[in-house]
This record gives sequence, C-alpha cells and structure tokens, in this order.
Amino acid sequence: MDEKQKQKYLEAQPMWKIVASQFAEHRMAVVGLIVILFFLSISAFAPIISAITGLDPDEQNVFNRYQPAFSTVATSSINRELAVERMLANGKDYTALIDAAIAQNVLEYPTTREDVLYDMATAVAPEVLLDELASFPQVEGLNDFIAVVGGFQKFHLLGTDELGRDVLIRLVYGTRVSITVGLMVAFAAAFIGLIIGSLAGYYGGYLDATLMRLTDALISLPILVVLIVVSAIDLGNIIGGTPLSFIVGSDYESIFKMVFILCLFSWMQVARLVRGSILSIKEQEFIMAAKTLGARDSMIILTHVVPNVIAPLLVAVTLGIGNSILFEAALSFLGLGIQPPTPSWGNMLFNAQEMVQHAPMLAILPGLLILATVISFNFVGDGLQDAIDPKSIRR
Amino acid sequence: MTSFIIRRLIQTGIVITLLSFFCYLLMTLMPGDPVDLMISANPNITSEDIERLRALYGLDQPVLVRYWNWVSTILSGDLGYSRTYRVPVQELMGPRLINTFILSAAALLVSILIALPLGILAALKKGTRLDYSINMFAFTGISIPSFWLAIVLIIVFAIWIPLFPASGTRTVGVDLSFGELLFDRIRYLVLPVLSLSLMSIGTFVRFTRSAMIEAMANDYIRTARAKGLSWPRIIVIHGFRNALIPLITILALSFSGLFSGAIITETVFSYQGVGSLVYESIISNDFNVAMVAFMISVSMVLIFNLLADILYGVADPRISYS
Repeated sequence: MDEKQKQKYLEAQPMWKIVASQFAEHRMAVVGLIVILFFLSISAFAPIISAITGLDPDEQNVFNRYQPAFSTVATSSINRELAVERMLANGKDYTALIDAAIAQNVLEYPTTREDVLYDMATAVAPEVLLDELASFPQVEGLNDFIAVVGGFQKFHLLGTDELGRDVLIRLVYGTRVSITVGLMVAFAAAFIGLIIGSLAGYYGGYLDATLMRLTDALISLPILVVLIVVSAIDLGNIIGGTPLSFIVGSDYESIFKMVFILCLFSWMQVARLVRGSILSIKEQEFIMAAKTLGARDSMIILTHVVPNVIAPLLVAVTLGIGNSILFEAALSFLGLGIQPPTPSWGNMLFNAQEMVQHAPMLAILPGLLILATVISFNFVGDGLQDAIDPKSIRR
Repeated sequence: MTSFIIRRLIQTGIVITLLSFFCYLLMTLMPGDPVDLMISANPNITSEDIERLRALYGLDQPVLVRYWNWVSTILSGDLGYSRTYRVPVQELMGPRLINTFILSAAALLVSILIALPLGILAALKKGTRLDYSINMFAFTGISIPSFWLAIVLIIVFAIWIPLFPASGTRTVGVDLSFGELLFDRIRYLVLPVLSLSLMSIGTFVRFTRSAMIEAMANDYIRTARAKGLSWPRIIVIHGFRNALIPLITILALSFSGLFSGAIITETVFSYQGVGSLVYESIISNDFNVAMVAFMISVSMVLIFNLLADILYGVADPRISYS
C-alpha cells in the first residue's frame, strides 16, 4: 500500500460519501435512480417537448382515431382553419399571396376573396397543396403559408388515441401529472407523519395512546376501499368559502383533490417509524444533557431528535412516492382520480380499456411507464435502506 | 389471553363504529341524494312534493339523527333496499360475499404455494444469480399495477390466445352438472386469481426470504447439522418453523391488501363480488348498498387482523399478552 492510499484510508469520510459509495454498489438502485431522473426531466420539460414537436396533448382529431404507431396524418379541418387564422392575424400583408392563390385557381369551385386561403387549407390534402404551392410565384407571405401547411402533417410516433390525440405527448404530460402527485403526497405525508410521530413519541402518555390507536386503526383499513369512498366526495363542500376555494372548478381541482385524499391515508407508516426512533433516542444521554442545559422541547425535537430520524424517513418517503403513484393510477383508472382532459397514466388506461381488442398498445404503454417508475422508486428505497443502515456498512 | 382478546374486540368494535359514522358523513357529502335523483328524473315534480319526499326519507333531519336511524334499522336486521338492483340488500350481499371469499382464498392459496418455496430457495441460495432473479421477480410483483396486469392478461389470454373468458363469474344461461360447474367456475377464476396474487407473491417472497435467512443464522441450525440431521429436515423443522412466526402476521395482514386489490380485479373482470359492488354502488349513488358493502369489507379486514394477533400467540408461546 503506497503512502497516498494509506492517507486515503486514514482520512475520515463524511457520512454522505459513505452512503453514496454504499448506494453505488446496489446496481439496480443506480439504474432506478437514472430512470427516475429521466422521468423527472421529461416532466419538467413537457411544455418544451410540446413546443418543439408541435404536438398538443388536448388537440383532437376525430377522423384519425386509433392510428397505429409511426403514422403521419393530416390535422382536422378545424385546426387547419385555426392555424390559417393565426397566420393572417400576425399583422403582415397577405394580399399578394391571396391574389396569387386566386390566379392559380387551385380550387375546383368558386370562393370568396377572403376565404380563399381557408378553403385551400381545408379542401386539399396537405401534401397535394404543398406540391401546388411549389409552383406558385415567389410572392410575399408564401413561405409563411408553406410553413403553416407543412404543420398540417402530424407525425405520431406512438399513434393516436380514442379522440385522435397524440399518445406520446399525452404520456409526457401524464408523466408530469403522475410524478407531481406522487412527490407532493409523499412529502406532505412525511411532514404530517413527522409531526404526529414526534408528538406521540416525545410526550408519551395519553397523547401517545390516542395518536397511536388512530394510526393503528387507519393502517389496518383496506386503503383502496376507503379511498374509493372518500374520492366520491365533492371538494367544493370541504374547501368552499376558504382561501383555497379558487381551486374548485379550475383545471387543477382533481389533482389537488387527489393529493389531499392520498395524504389523509399515507402518513401512518412515517408516524410509526418516527415514534419508534424517538422512543429509543429519547433515553440517550445527549437528550438528558440538552434537558439539563435548559433546552426547550421544540429545540430538542428539532435539533437533536429530527436529524437522527432523517435517514429512515428518507427511505420511507422514497417508497411512499412509488405507492402514491400506484394509488393515484388505481383511482384514476377507476375514473375517480384525475379527471379528463388532464392526462395521467391512470386515466389513459381507463380510456384504453374499452378498446383493448382494437388498440392494445394504448393500454400497454401507460402501464409500462407506471411499472417502470414504481419499480425504480422501490429499488432506490431498497438501496437507500442498505446504504444508510450502519449495520450493513462495509469499509 | 382472554382479556387481550376482549380488549382487542372492543377496540375493533370502536373502530368499526367510528368508521361507519365517518363513512355515513362522507356519503352525505357526496353529490346527489335520492331526492335529487328523483328531481332530475321527473321535471314535473313540485316543490311541495320535494318537501314531502325529503320528510319521507328523513333527509330534512340533522346528520346525527339520520345516522342513528340508519344504525337502528341495520341492527334490527333490515339492510335496506338497493336502488339500482331493485332487490333488498340482503339478497344481493350473500352470493357476492361468497364470490369474493372464493376469489381471495384462491389468490391467497396460490400466492402461498408459489411464494414460500421461492422465498426459501432464495434464502438458501443467498447471493447467487438465482437469488437475484427471484428478488427481481418479487420487486416486479410488488410494483406492478394490478389493473394493468389484469388488462394485459385479458389481451394475451383472452384475445390473442383465447384460453380463458375475459370477464364474468360463470357461464350464464346453461344448466351444468356439479363437475362441469366447478370446471366452469375455475376457468373464470384463473385470470382474476393470477392478477390478484402476483402482488402478494412479491411481498411474501421478500418476507419469507428475510425471515428464513434470519432463522438459518441461528446456532441451533449449526447444532442440528453437527448432530448429522438430514438437510431437508433441518430446513423444514428447524429453519422454516422458526421463520413462520413473522410470516403469520404478514399472511393475515395481506388480507387487507387482497381486499383492496379485489376491488380493482373484480371491476376489471366484471367478477360479481363485494369489491365490484362497492365500486358500482358508489358510482351509481346506491347509498344503502355502498354503506353495507363498505362496512362488510372493512369489518372482514379488521377481523382478520385480530385473528392474526391471536395466531401470533399460538405460533410463538413466548409472546405474552399482558
């Protein structure tokens, strides 16, 4: 062993470095972490992906429903007219283009001067129109029109769904919704569990008995059955009249409702864990020392107790994210969770199940994403548990 | 022991009572009471009629009074009348309960039969490639969304390779002898049981593995080997029996998961059980059915939890309940 290596071993390693190197040894956990980071960046960049590909998760195209993967279809005539309208409204002068269009006489039937661009856009197939436009004289605005007509051809990598919407971009936005719900629920539940668990563990007595009976009672329930009953309530009845009432009726209502309901029933594991750790920490000398020095209860809990439970808490939160995503998907799948048109993996499956015979991929894809995400969170949780547990640390 | 059971019974009773009230309260928060539905069905209804109907159904009284009335009718043996099925709830409940029981029991049996050997195998071959593959399988089982698995099973085994029926409980409209009926029921059960049991298989495998590893690390295993006992005997009598204790709790607690899972499985496969009844009745605002089906599912789970605690003491005499 040379001097440098010796030095390295003698040096005290910070905790996070030990944990990180332990974590890196768990191969599946590292793969899981990469998958999670990938999904996180997809959900963060969803609007940018939408802008680059020119696909909109809500854009319907009823004449091109259930298109297979790798298909190119023309957008619906309503959307073509809207695109032309947007082009005409951008302030440029298109008289020359309109004159040229009338002179070329592409259409077989007579049309009014102001409608000629609209009629061309809707009456002729986009690829035919592009050919026609190529033989046009170079007038002002022609390139704008060619760009607009070029946008009529939509390429659907994963095909279209029951309303002719692009499946890929809906999956991207579904990722955003599902992961957001999972993260919010897991963190909020950890917070609630931390408070309840530390109150029960630190103060003991009747408070402990009451809180823990409540926790035990909730933990023993068949959660999904309870969630189905609870999710049938009307959010407006609960938060109507409070500062939060702006959520009711907005696009985010069902997302908030989902987070709220899932939070109610996912804090119990954390509370139990925190209470257990506190009971054992409470008896140790450094707490006694802090008490003797006159520290307040809140001070002791925050600076001496909480840092000692953070490690197991982190594991519980990681596993909690996976579970929350699974529950959200299950409720949305039953039509009780995230409401359309907002896409989530669960409600995409809900829509797809009626047509499994005709379009099985619509049902298979969202489920695969749920499986990949949940299994990744479970592996990362498992890896963290191994890495943090001092008994398993090998140096 | 007796005082422990009595104490737990009282606790369970309190939880069920509180839950029934909580649930009753939630149902009143749900949009659309029976009279609202009648109003939307009949536009010619007058406001006096509405008043009269509300008084008739007791909807003009405070929630606590209504809850009390509901509890007293339930306790007198009258479970009410289903609005969607047009039959008394009692008649609806019986066959549904039996169906759910058959489904859950079959799923539990299948998962034990598959998971225990796999878990023991993984524990004995700890650290090998076989252990990793079994672990991977268990993780997949825990993480797989059961509703998606159900749909995939339907696509593969009912549409692409039509081996099993895609939905239902049994073939209707034909007279079958007992043997044929049994075969028919099993054919309809295969896919739901598969999709329901995979998740519990994952959990069981992981618990069996860790319990078995812990049990096999004990000194008495070394003693047994030193005495020259046969390897299978050591595994079964000395290792597995001691690994059984933590497993019993997990098995009994898994009923909770099975019941939760049954809701989804029964709904996807249109299997006529209590789970799908809870879902259908809530979707269709069938208040009486929803309350009773919900209370039955929850009570069943709580009773199984109680059983688990008692069994725990039977399996391990060292545990005291004082």
